[in-house]
Amino acid sequence: MSMLPQLLFTGICIGSIYALVSLGFVLLIRAANIVNFAQGQFSMLGAYFMVILFASLGLNYGLSLFLAVVLMAVFGVLFACVSYWPLRDRNPIAVIISTIGAGILLDNTVLAAYGPSPQVLRGLFEGEGFLVGPIYMDSQYLSIIVVTAVLVSLQYLVFEKTTIGKKIQATSQDREMAAILGIPTALIVMGIFAYSAALGGLAGILIAPILYVSVGISALIGVKAFAANIIGGFGSIPGAIFGGLIIGIVETLGAAYISVPYRDAFAFIILIIVLLVRPQGLFGERISEKA
Amino acid sequence: MRFSSRFVLALVSALGILAGFSTAASAQETIKVGLIVPMTGPIAEIGLLQTEGAKLGVEKINAAGGVLGKKLELVTEDDQATNPGMVLAFSKLINRGDLVAVVASLRSTQMNAISEDSKKAGLPVFFGGTDPTLTTTGNPWFFRARPSDAYSAKVIADYGVNVLKKKKWAIVHSTDAFGTNGSKALIAALKELGVEPVVVQSINNGQTDLTPVVLAVRQSGADIISSYVAYETDVGLLARQFKQFGVTAPWVGSPSVSTTTARNLAGPALYDTYSVADFAAEANPEAKSFSEEFNKKLGRLADYTSGWPYDSVMLLAAAIKAANSTAPDKIRAALLALKDFRGTEGVYNYDKNGEGLRGYNIVQNKEGKIVFNRTITFDK
Amino acid sequence: MSTAAAFRQKTITYGLIGFAAVMAIAFIAPSEGYYLNILMHAANYAIAVVGLVIVLGYCGQFALCQAAFLGIGAYCVGLGTGDYGIPFFVALFLGVVITGLVGIFLGLTTLNLNGHYLGMVTIAFQMIVTMVLTNWAGFTHGPDGITKIPRPAGFGGGSTYLGLCLVCLVAVLVFAYVLKASRLGRAMQAVRDNEIAASTCGVDVFFTKTVAFGICAALAGLGGGLFAGAFNYISPDQFSFGESVVLLTMALLGGVESAFGALIGTVLLVVLPEWLRFLRQIYLAVYGGAVIAIMIFMPRGVWGLVSKYLFKTAPIGSAPVKPLPLLSRSATVSDEIVLETIGLAKYFGGLKAVDGVDVKVRKGSVHALIGPNGSGKTTMLNLITGLYVATAGTVKLSGQDITALKPHDRTRLGMCRTFQNIRVFRGLTVLENVIIGAERRGNDVEGIDDVTERALAALDFVGLRDRAHLPVGDLPYGHQRYVEIARALAGSPEILLLDEPAAGLNSTEKTEMAELLQRLKGHGTTIFIIDHDMRLIEQVADHITVLNFGRRIADDDPRSVFTHPEVIAAYLGEPRNETA
Repeated sequence: MSMLPQLLFTGICIGSIYALVSLGFVLLIRAANIVNFAQGQFSMLGAYFMVILFASLGLNYGLSLFLAVVLMAVFGVLFACVSYWPLRDRNPIAVIISTIGAGILLDNTVLAAYGPSPQVLRGLFEGEGFLVGPIYMDSQYLSIIVVTAVLVSLQYLVFEKTTIGKKIQATSQDREMAAILGIPTALIVMGIFAYSAALGGLAGILIAPILYVSVGISALIGVKAFAANIIGGFGSIPGAIFGGLIIGIVETLGAAYISVPYRDAFAFIILIIVLLVRPQGLFGERISEKA
Repeated sequence: MRFSSRFVLALVSALGILAGFSTAASAQETIKVGLIVPMTGPIAEIGLLQTEGAKLGVEKINAAGGVLGKKLELVTEDDQATNPGMVLAFSKLINRGDLVAVVASLRSTQMNAISEDSKKAGLPVFFGGTDPTLTTTGNPWFFRARPSDAYSAKVIADYGVNVLKKKKWAIVHSTDAFGTNGSKALIAALKELGVEPVVVQSINNGQTDLTPVVLAVRQSGADIISSYVAYETDVGLLARQFKQFGVTAPWVGSPSVSTTTARNLAGPALYDTYSVADFAAEANPEAKSFSEEFNKKLGRLADYTSGWPYDSVMLLAAAIKAANSTAPDKIRAALLALKDFRGTEGVYNYDKNGEGLRGYNIVQNKEGKIVFNRTITFDK
Repeated sequence: MSTAAAFRQKTITYGLIGFAAVMAIAFIAPSEGYYLNILMHAANYAIAVVGLVIVLGYCGQFALCQAAFLGIGAYCVGLGTGDYGIPFFVALFLGVVITGLVGIFLGLTTLNLNGHYLGMVTIAFQMIVTMVLTNWAGFTHGPDGITKIPRPAGFGGGSTYLGLCLVCLVAVLVFAYVLKASRLGRAMQAVRDNEIAASTCGVDVFFTKTVAFGICAALAGLGGGLFAGAFNYISPDQFSFGESVVLLTMALLGGVESAFGALIGTVLLVVLPEWLRFLRQIYLAVYGGAVIAIMIFMPRGVWGLVSKYLFKTAPIGSAPVKPLPLLSRSATVSDEIVLETIGLAKYFGGLKAVDGVDVKVRKGSVHALIGPNGSGKTTMLNLITGLYVATAGTVKLSGQDITALKPHDRTRLGMCRTFQNIRVFRGLTVLENVIIGAERRGNDVEGIDDVTERALAALDFVGLRDRAHLPVGDLPYGHQRYVEIARALAGSPEILLLDEPAAGLNSTEKTEMAELLQRLKGHGTTIFIIDHDMRLIEQVADHITVLNFGRRIADDDPRSVFTHPEVIAAYLGEPRNETA
């Protein structure tokens, strides 16, 4: 029996996770020109909020999910106030470094509070999964694909078709100019941080049943999401989706047919090839700075 | 800016005072034993358990009047859970010049990192790293206080081939030192029993998905699975995906398969699996009484992290008593001469390479509970 | 005493002091044990951190794989001496060369893109290196690492080997110190402060960044090689991503602008864990918090704080210097064409910003380009200077087709410009800003003393000589504009392009600007100027080209242009005749 259909299914699922995390990422780049190296930590934190609400406090699943996402949105604003706002007028590298610092801070605070032992979190559905022909479909994997698809469509619509989307884009291109035009840029940037954190948190909650809840998720996902972004084209929404899927599929097939230990290298090799051949990414436009 | 510089100044002076306190020497003369554990960093908790194990040993000796009329005292250093940190911690302890022995690390790479330094230092160094090669490099001062993976591999192979009667082996291992060396030892042990594994798969620590590995194992038609996987999340993922893809062959794994965390994570997916365990509370009377005392003092279960530091202290005390001296070379000679020393990890008989234990326990996961199965030991 | 000689003497003094200090430390230090280990650890790491200072502090590029380079250097020594029997120093040298080359290769793939990419690619590279070191066991000895790495003959003892590490460290510190004040170092800082302005000052931005990253990598290779000998044992987990973050933090804490900052940061972070022991599990959390706090409250690090109070830059001496050579010439407007555009066009998607414009600029003339807002003037200038790639058409400088040339190559041929929204190098002093302009390739100056004199002459000309030692950011807006003009003039341009020099100036300043332009006229320097201020244009222009909606609508002497009906229509906003 060929392994290929199963591997493709798994690859698409894993890719959807990367895509979901990188969506939050894309928005920050587009709206505020911020490269947030703590995006993976958002997912980790979201999962831990869920552990507190659902597993420790014993709230029902739906309510816990809702509260965890709201808490993440609040956290996103807090995060912005500490690691972005004081540095907003400085070199973008200052913000990058500060988000790296924030990532270390978050990882180790959670580690100190919860210890290195991973926690268990149940999935969206109680059932484990079922066989469709040769393919075993894990119920949680299916949930991830569906949620990702819905969120992607929503985000695309909001971004491209609504006034808020236009304002967000204007803010990204020239914050001062947007402010002059009466767009509440501070509010928009904060809003994007809140949304981005909520999205990251949701991604964390969705993958927690598969990867368990541990501090390790941050790095595991954050870096791949970042790579997905660059492969797809920095700041491009369709790019983030395809970048994520490409990484998911290539690393799963690569692991199966070439080498398991070098699995994580495949994503980065594609990344470097893309940068060499098409540096603006698969869906990116070459943007030149105005003199 | 003014605020921050003042803050830094305050911080520095506060730290200076703290440093002053910590170096204040104790007046009473004691026999000092170095202890290196991770006190900071991601596995600080393990460091805590190690320290408690060693402390229990020291308290027990001192309650019985100490050794040679003197009390034992632990001098603790932090290895920050890194290799450079280990090197610094070890050299700091050696610099004191008043230690008789050091109880070092659980992590094999850290032991490799101080191997050369410890030869120069000339003190017995007890350790819990299970990499078989640590006792083959001709370091006269290394004393292992846990059985090496050469024996965990032998025990897994023996149990699988002779007890479970399985011949088609699949091996899954981590790519770190623990996993690679464990798998090498297992392949060697199987070869002695005339078995060649049908598939060997290696994985990096911390994976998002193991479908390719599980499918490879399924395709190989293995009738027994063995694992040297370091991370418990990987064990959990592996267990769940084995179940999902209908791989039901018996599983005899390294200790990480039966830890509390792994059992929590995987739930029913790990039921009925076997694992080797160097420390098992029911394995022998010493382990049993140690577990009770540990539980009484700390309100939690003892495990492999705390048993071996306890044994190390007890071994050291016995050796000093036998040598009637605290001179390092005499302690070494006495350690080598100790016969059938009963510790929590098993019965110690040191050879000249510093290998003391030659067996492992087999335990089984019965509906989430760990049940002691048997102890398998080997002669040299 | 000349600047160069003074600097040389200072460097030698510092170097000797450093060397003496090193000898003293190596002599006093114990020959083994904890303090020796701490010192060796700090010395080797500091070498790698200096590399980060160069790439991040000097050149403003963000990389996160210093531990990987450290590892490559260390493995070159570990494997080279052990498995291949190469002598220690040869292996060390190989390590430096290999890491340097890898750094250059990584730089080549990403450095023509902006900062985020290098960050990402270096993270990817870091992960790949860790994976290879761990998994390619046949070559690297796998996760066990390499034991019993020998030290070179004659340096086996603790003190002597420490001495070797410290001598290397001092050499690296001196190198970084000299580099900062060198032409390449200034180019790096110009790139850091403003890539676009740097390129139009003749700095090859891509090359400069790549070299900076290569040096950064090579220094890590050196530190790593020495590290392998120091501890006799290396393993892949010593060179992990986390360690790269530690190295970065060392640089940030100490201060990325100076190699001494690197030293301070490294020593602090090697010693700090000892002090912060009481924090136990939250130690690393505090570490992360400290990174944010440093970025917010102490952006220039410890060294930045210290040097702010310790060192004050002395005013530059007021000894007279030779005036700018381009002012001593006298020439009239000739018929020779210096700059010519033929059918020049730039489309942004569907927008035709510049649509087939022909311009001929005569040598020695002041040629103005005017037009309503959005008529494509600045786009024109960006096309001429090479900041934009033309969609169609040709640009010729003195008859040579330069359409395919990069901005810095055009500057080498004598094209210097200023910007409408001021682009000075904010991290540098006024004098350093102008020096960067003066030392463009193709300028008729040789050596730092000549360059400095030329820069001072340019500052004399714009009247900012007494401010030469100040950080350029301390100057008011109008003066920064003069700094830009001085920077361009110091390069003795064949043609000077001024993008709205009077924008944002008050009326007095505008008058001054007009006077300055008048003083420039008549010495054979061609000036191509864009401005909205018609009074200014009227006063200085010999010839005017008018753009509207990206097309040329008039091109004549000022009097004819101002009476041209289409120009009047364009400025009064009457409906435009659709001729196309």
